[in-house]
Amino acid sequence: MSAPARVPFRNPGWAGNTGEFDLTEAEVRGTDFVGERPLDGGHESAAPSYPYMLPDKDPDAVLFEGAYKERFEKIRTRYPTARAALIPTLNLAQELRGHVSPETMDEVAALLGLASAEVRGTVTFYTMYNKRPVGRFLIQVCTNISCSLCRGEEVLDAFLRHTGTELGETSGDGDFTVIEVECLAACGFPVAVQINSRYYENVLPDDVPALLERLREHGE
Amino acid sequence: MSTVTLTIDGREVTVPEGTSLLHAAEEIGVEVPHYCYHPALSAPAQCRLCLVDVEGAPKPMPSCVTQAQDGQVVRTDEGLAREMRKGVLEFYLVNHPLDCPICDQSGECKLQDYVHSEGRAHGRGVEPKRVFGRDDFGGDVLFYGDRCVMCTRCVRFMEEMAQDPVLTVVERGDRAVIDTFFEQGLKDSPWSGNIVDICPVGALVSKDFLHKARAWDLDHTPSVCPNCSQGCNVDLHTRDNVVHRLKPRENPEVNGHWMCDYGRGHYEWMNRSDRIEEPFVRGDGGWSAPGWHGALASLRERFEDRRGPVHAVASAHASNEDLGAFRELVERLGGQGVVYRSRRAADEAPLPGSPVLARRRDLAPNTRGAELLGMRRVGSDDARGGLDEVAASTGTLIVLGDELTDQPEDFGSRAELFVYLGTHPAPAARSAHFVLPVTTFAEQEGTFTNVQTRVQRFEPALRGAGNAQPAWQVLGALTASLAGEPAPASAAESFSRLAARVPEYEGLDYDQLGAQGVPANRPAAIAGER
Repeated sequence: MSAPARVPFRNPGWAGNTGEFDLTEAEVRGTDFVGERPLDGGHESAAPSYPYMLPDKDPDAVLFEGAYKERFEKIRTRYPTARAALIPTLNLAQELRGHVSPETMDEVAALLGLASAEVRGTVTFYTMYNKRPVGRFLIQVCTNISCSLCRGEEVLDAFLRHTGTELGETSGDGDFTVIEVECLAACGFPVAVQINSRYYENVLPDDVPALLERLREHGE
Repeated sequence: MSTVTLTIDGREVTVPEGTSLLHAAEEIGVEVPHYCYHPALSAPAQCRLCLVDVEGAPKPMPSCVTQAQDGQVVRTDEGLAREMRKGVLEFYLVNHPLDCPICDQSGECKLQDYVHSEGRAHGRGVEPKRVFGRDDFGGDVLFYGDRCVMCTRCVRFMEEMAQDPVLTVVERGDRAVIDTFFEQGLKDSPWSGNIVDICPVGALVSKDFLHKARAWDLDHTPSVCPNCSQGCNVDLHTRDNVVHRLKPRENPEVNGHWMCDYGRGHYEWMNRSDRIEEPFVRGDGGWSAPGWHGALASLRERFEDRRGPVHAVASAHASNEDLGAFRELVERLGGQGVVYRSRRAADEAPLPGSPVLARRRDLAPNTRGAELLGMRRVGSDDARGGLDEVAASTGTLIVLGDELTDQPEDFGSRAELFVYLGTHPAPAARSAHFVLPVTTFAEQEGTFTNVQTRVQRFEPALRGAGNAQPAWQVLGALTASLAGEPAPASAAESFSRLAARVPEYEGLDYDQLGAQGVPANRPAAIAGER
């Protein structure tokens, strides 16, 4: 049996040298790759864990086939009821498609034998499900207390200005969607910005152009 | 069963073990305000309004899910409990539009009641309120999101009772709102009207009733739903002699707290104004209206001179008293039995979460009552045909209640004597020699026998049309004059005659039927049927 397909998993992001610790990017990020994850989820106990960030989303991806079908079946075995398996299943769907559309909700409901309305209720309750398509980079800027005190709103404005988008909208090139979030639980390092699955901390308004440039050229 | 004794508001109460504080308080007549709790649904304890102060407990306890314990001391009416409710109610009004003057729930709204009795006199909010507007859920249900208190009774009704979870809470925080799956709506659920009933506020309202009447102007008359043989207990809500809506009346043996949309929606016929209002007699010189006395006197003469066989058609919409009096008359005239026609649906439509409730196949309230009186059902499932033998009658023909809509205009023209007792003018009854106006069930008192063979009383909600009289009175008077006996003076008396003649009703007393009815004595044949 051949080894299952694997996806690269890189370690956290880099907001530039803040001068505080005087570290280089290489020192912060370490090696490019810190590990890989099997596409089928590996051991079933790990299968429902946080979704992988796939470089490309396919809004028309099939729910589910191949390795993803295996992962979905592993998820089902980990929960006593279909309702309990709903969240990891939605994670999987969003991982593939990039957002959870009404059609996706309907499909997931059918897969799990739940009511579509209930799936909609769950999806809309949790803020980390994208209800609409988002750009290649989903930029979530915290403006809660700690970040607000450290110019969180200005950082948000800078992101909007430099990407040329409205709050919640996707830039014309399909690269960036900027949204405002409540606490990202990184209050020690404001302003905290989450871009896809990575945290960028101590971000200042002036860091934003370079950050966006890096994203355009190198990805996360 | 072991019991516990506790003190609520300074009064001792003993209740079975496992009783909630809310119910224990009810025992001594204390209503603890609540929204999310409903006796027929699960209790999520999320409205936070039924919080009570329990001595020794570190925090206020939700009384709907807290079990009564021996020796507990509970306060619901003063101090902490009152302060908590005042605070919770203030939160409920943060985004509430306070549009009571244009809200249908006004007058029967729990938010209005609670805030009026215990809330703050003045709001302190200065922030703008969030606005949802209204949403058409389909069927008869309209949703005003801004009035919602998020008790989720409707969500739980659709999930637990209708078992068709089409409702959910969408979004979170102050954006949370009840909704269906996008534009899907309630998918024509046959039970959706119940969510309007259990909504404690004006968030879910009936489109049919929208802006028709104020709650405090309506009279409530206990009655029985006339639209199928389940016989759900209902209240007829009337104003100015017009029925405006039907609301279920609790009866755990028949319908619980619920009724179906079909039953709820078919009440307009009770308000029809095209009624027969006078007894009419057709003689050689055409129609005349001699009044009841004259009409019954000449009908009695015609009965005494009658020849040929007697044919009789009844209706399963008539009460037991009407049908009993009808049978008695037919028997006295030497008739050989009575037939009736009634509409029958293709299927039963059960309420999945209820052990007893369904919209039954028979779409008339008293088919079982007609059966018990030995009447025979004829015709098709849409209550057509089946009257060929009757129509060809050359003797005496008596029709009670059947509007004969499918019959030709010369129906009964060969009969020597054709008597029509009805509520509405029937074109097929133009050959009748006597047209006698009778009241609808909504205009008289009486009983129906439902599919469970339960005998249930209904009360008059409307004034009779013109000079219409209850059929039991008209028929009873005729029979009595033929027999030389006194006529029944009341529906109760008419029922006691029935009880003396029908073994299933033996021993039943009209007054003791009460508001919830009692099961009839079930003969073996019917008992084995279900």
